[in-house]
Amino acid sequence: MSNTETSDSLITTDVETGSNEQTAAPDRTAVAARDLNVYYGDEQAIDDVSMEIPENRVTALIGPSGCGKSTFLRCINRMNDMIEVCRVEGDIEFGGKNVYDADVDPVALRRKIGMVFQKPNPFPKSIRDNVAYGLKIQGYDGDVDERVEESLKGAALWDEVKDQLGSSGLDLSGGQQQRLCIARAIAPDPEVVLMDEPTSALDPVAASKIEDLIDDLAEEYTVIIVTHNMQQAARISDRTAVFLTGGRLVEYDDTTKIFEDPEEQRVEDYITGKFG
Amino acid sequence: MATDNANASGFGEVSRLRGVVFEYLSLGASVIGLVALGVLLVYVTIDAFDLANASPEWLLTYFLTLVVPFLAFCLYSVSDPAVTRRSLAALGGGLVAVAALFTAIETFLVAIPRLSWQLAYLFVVAMPVTAYLTYVGSRGRVGAVGFGLVGRLVGGIAIGLALGTLFLVFDPLVWFLAYTLGVVPAAALYAYGRWRSADRASTAAVPVGLLGVVAAVFLRGVVTTYPSDLIIYIWTLAVPIAVAGERVVADRSSRIAAAAVGGVPLAVAIAGGFLAGGLGVPGPTALLVLVTVGVPTAVYVHRTIDEGDGVVGLALPVLLVGGALVGALVVEAWGVPAPDPWLDVGYVTEAPSSTAVEAGLYPAIVGSVIIIALVAVLSFVLGVGTSVFLEEYMPESGVLGSLTRLLQVNIANLAAIPSVVYGLLGLGLFANLLGFGLGTAVTASLTLSLLILPITIISAQEAIRSVPDDLRRGSDAMGATRWQTTKNVVLPEAFPGILTGTILALGRAIGETAPLIMIGAATTVFSAPDSLFSRFSAMPMQIYAWANYPQAEFRYGVVAAGVITLLIILIGMNGTAILLRNRAERGT
Repeated sequence: MSNTETSDSLITTDVETGSNEQTAAPDRTAVAARDLNVYYGDEQAIDDVSMEIPENRVTALIGPSGCGKSTFLRCINRMNDMIEVCRVEGDIEFGGKNVYDADVDPVALRRKIGMVFQKPNPFPKSIRDNVAYGLKIQGYDGDVDERVEESLKGAALWDEVKDQLGSSGLDLSGGQQQRLCIARAIAPDPEVVLMDEPTSALDPVAASKIEDLIDDLAEEYTVIIVTHNMQQAARISDRTAVFLTGGRLVEYDDTTKIFEDPEEQRVEDYITGKFG
Repeated sequence: MATDNANASGFGEVSRLRGVVFEYLSLGASVIGLVALGVLLVYVTIDAFDLANASPEWLLTYFLTLVVPFLAFCLYSVSDPAVTRRSLAALGGGLVAVAALFTAIETFLVAIPRLSWQLAYLFVVAMPVTAYLTYVGSRGRVGAVGFGLVGRLVGGIAIGLALGTLFLVFDPLVWFLAYTLGVVPAAALYAYGRWRSADRASTAAVPVGLLGVVAAVFLRGVVTTYPSDLIIYIWTLAVPIAVAGERVVADRSSRIAAAAVGGVPLAVAIAGGFLAGGLGVPGPTALLVLVTVGVPTAVYVHRTIDEGDGVVGLALPVLLVGGALVGALVVEAWGVPAPDPWLDVGYVTEAPSSTAVEAGLYPAIVGSVIIIALVAVLSFVLGVGTSVFLEEYMPESGVLGSLTRLLQVNIANLAAIPSVVYGLLGLGLFANLLGFGLGTAVTASLTLSLLILPITIISAQEAIRSVPDDLRRGSDAMGATRWQTTKNVVLPEAFPGILTGTILALGRAIGETAPLIMIGAATTVFSAPDSLFSRFSAMPMQIYAWANYPQAEFRYGVVAAGVITLLIILIGMNGTAILLRNRAERGT
C-alpha cells in the first residue's frame, strides 16, 4: 500500500539507460524499467530491458508477435501476477517505487494505472455502471454521475450515449465499446493508461477515432500503447520502442527518429516491412 | 469453355443417405422418451380426474365452453389467417383421423383400456393444438397481456399459499419481531441513505438489520403480548407488498393511481382476511393469497391500461372462469353425468384417510414444500460457495492445484453415489450424532441438500467457468480485489447458469424417497408439521405408501391424483425459478 502514498511525487532522478542509445529526454519519467527479465516457465519473454517512459507522452511499443511487448506492458501493472508460471526479475519503477517490492499491493497499484485491452471487454452492465465501476470498487465518495460524464467526455463518447446511460454496454458498437473501456479506465483518474493493441479488433473508422482520442489523453495521462500497426505508432506516439524476437529492446527513441533514421538495420528492415 | 460446358447436365449427385438415416434415428431417439412419458401422463391424468367415466356430452360441453373460446382468443391474438386455417384443419382432420384409427385398433387389434376416442382426440389433437396456439398467441400483444394477467393470478395464488405454508413451521412471532426491529429500520436507513445520498446510512442498513434479527430471536421469549396472527401478517407482509406496488406505479404515473393500486387490493385483502373465518377458510391464508394476487394484478392492469396496447387481453381470465362456470351450469341443467375427480379441493386440504374417497395429501404437501424450501436455500448457498472457491480461489497448478483436482474428481464421484447411501449418512450424522431426530423435517432437508450438492456444485462451476476471462481481467486491471471481481462481475454473469443447475437438482430432490425412508420419515402423517423438528411426510413417500394399499381405488385414483399434485408443484417451482433466471438474463 505504501506506493499509494508516494505515488504523487514521481521519480525524476536520472537513471542509467542501459545498453540502449538514447537522446536526452527533457520530460519527467513516469515509468522506468531496469534490467527487466521475464520468464514464462523456462522460456524467456523479456531479455534485460531498461527504458524510461516519459510523463504525459504517448509511448508506442512495436515489434513482431511474441517479442514481449505485451508482456512488458503487463509487467507495469503486475497483471502478469495472474499467470502462475510467470517470473519477473529486475525493477519497474513507478511513482518512486519498484512495483515488484514486497510491500507493494498489486491491487492498490492497479488503481493508479488504467488498462485497455485488445478486445473491448465492457462488463454486462449499464453504460453508467461500466464507467462507474472503478469508482465503486475504490469507494469514491464524490459525485459519481459527474465523474461518469467527465470520463465519457474524455473518451469522446458522451454525445453518442448521453441519452442511454442506463442501457447495456454490450449494445454499443465495437468502436464505442472500446471507447467505453477507455472511459472506464480513466474514470478513477489514473496516472498511466496502458493500451494493449486497442484498435486491432476495430474497423478503420473506429480505429481512427480511438487514435484521435489517444492524442487528447496524453495531455492528462501517460499513455503506453502496444501496437502492431506501424503507421499508427508513427501517427500517434511521441516515443517508440522497438522490440524484436527474444524479448530484446532493440531501439528506443523519439518516434520521428525511429521512423526516419533508425540506428539499427534490423529496425529499419522491420519498419519498412522487409522482416517481421 | 462456356459453350462446351462439361457440367451442362448438372454436377452429379452426392449421396446423403447416411446423413438422412442418422437424422431420423436421432429424431426417434429424442422423441421415444417423450412419447413414453406422454402416454404415462395421459393415463395418470385420466385416473386423477376420473375422465374414464366422463360422458361424451360432458366432454363436449366443456370443449365448447372452455377450449373453443380459449382457442378463439389465441387466434384473435395471432390474427393471421394462415394460422387460423392450419389450426382448424388440424382440429377437424385430427377428429376424423383419431376416430378412424381408434375404431380400427379397437376392432382389429386390442381394446384400449380407459380411453375413449373422444378422450384420445382431446389428448392427441386438441391439447397439442392448444399448446401451439398458446405459444403463438402469446407472441401477439393481446395474448401476451392475457397470459401475463393469468400468470400473475396463478402465481399470486401459489406464492400466497407457499408463504402461508412456510409460516406453519416458522414462528410468525419471531418474524414479527425480526421484521419490526430489523427489516423496517434497515429499509428506512437504506432509503434515507439513497435519498440524501448519505452513504454511511446505506452502509449501516445491513448491520442494523442483522442486529434487529438477532435481537428478535432473544426477545421472542421476553415479550409476552403479541398482536393476533392476522394483524402480524397485515403489518409484516400485506403492507410492504402494497407499498412496493404503490412505488412501482408511482414511478410512472399519478399519485392517485399509485395509491389506488396499492390501497384497493390491501383493503380487499384485509377485509377478506377478517371475513374468511366465516367461510371456513383460515383468515391469514386468505389475506396472503388476496394480497399476493391483488397487488401484482393491479400493477399489471394499471400498466396495460396506461400503455393502451392489447387491453382486450385483460378479458382472458374472465373468459376462462366464465367458460368454466357456464360449462358447470349446462352440465347441471341438462343432468349430464359428470366424472368425480380424485384430485379436488378436499384432496389437497385434508389429511390421509383409510378410505379412498376421504384420502387427502395436505400434510405431505406441506412437508414437501417445507423441505424443498430449506433444501433450495441450503444447497444454493453451499453449492455456490464451493464452486466459487474451487473456480476463483484455488490455484490451478502446484500442490494446491493437485488438491483442487482431487476435490474435483471426488465431487464428480459423489454425484454418482446412490441416494440410499446418502440416507444412511443422514441417519448416522444428522439424526443420531447431531441429534436432529429421526424423520424430522430438518434431518430430511440436510440429507437431501447433501444429496444434490454435487449436482449443484458441478453445474455452478460450469456456469462460473463460462464467464469470459476478458471480464475478469478487465475488472482486475481496474484494481478490483478478487472478492470484488467475483461479486461484481463473475457471479452476476454466472447467475442464470447457476440457477439452471439448481432447478434441475431441486427437481431430483423433490421426488426422492429412498433417503427419506432411511432417515425414518413417516409414510403417512395425519397433521401438517408445525415446526422444523416435528415428524413429517413428503409427497413421494405418501404416494409410495398408497401404491401398496390393497384397494384398487388407492392404487389408481388416489395415487394418480398424488402424482399430478407432485408434478404441478414441481412445475410451479421450476417455473418460478425459470422466470427468475430469464429476468436475470434480460438484466445483463
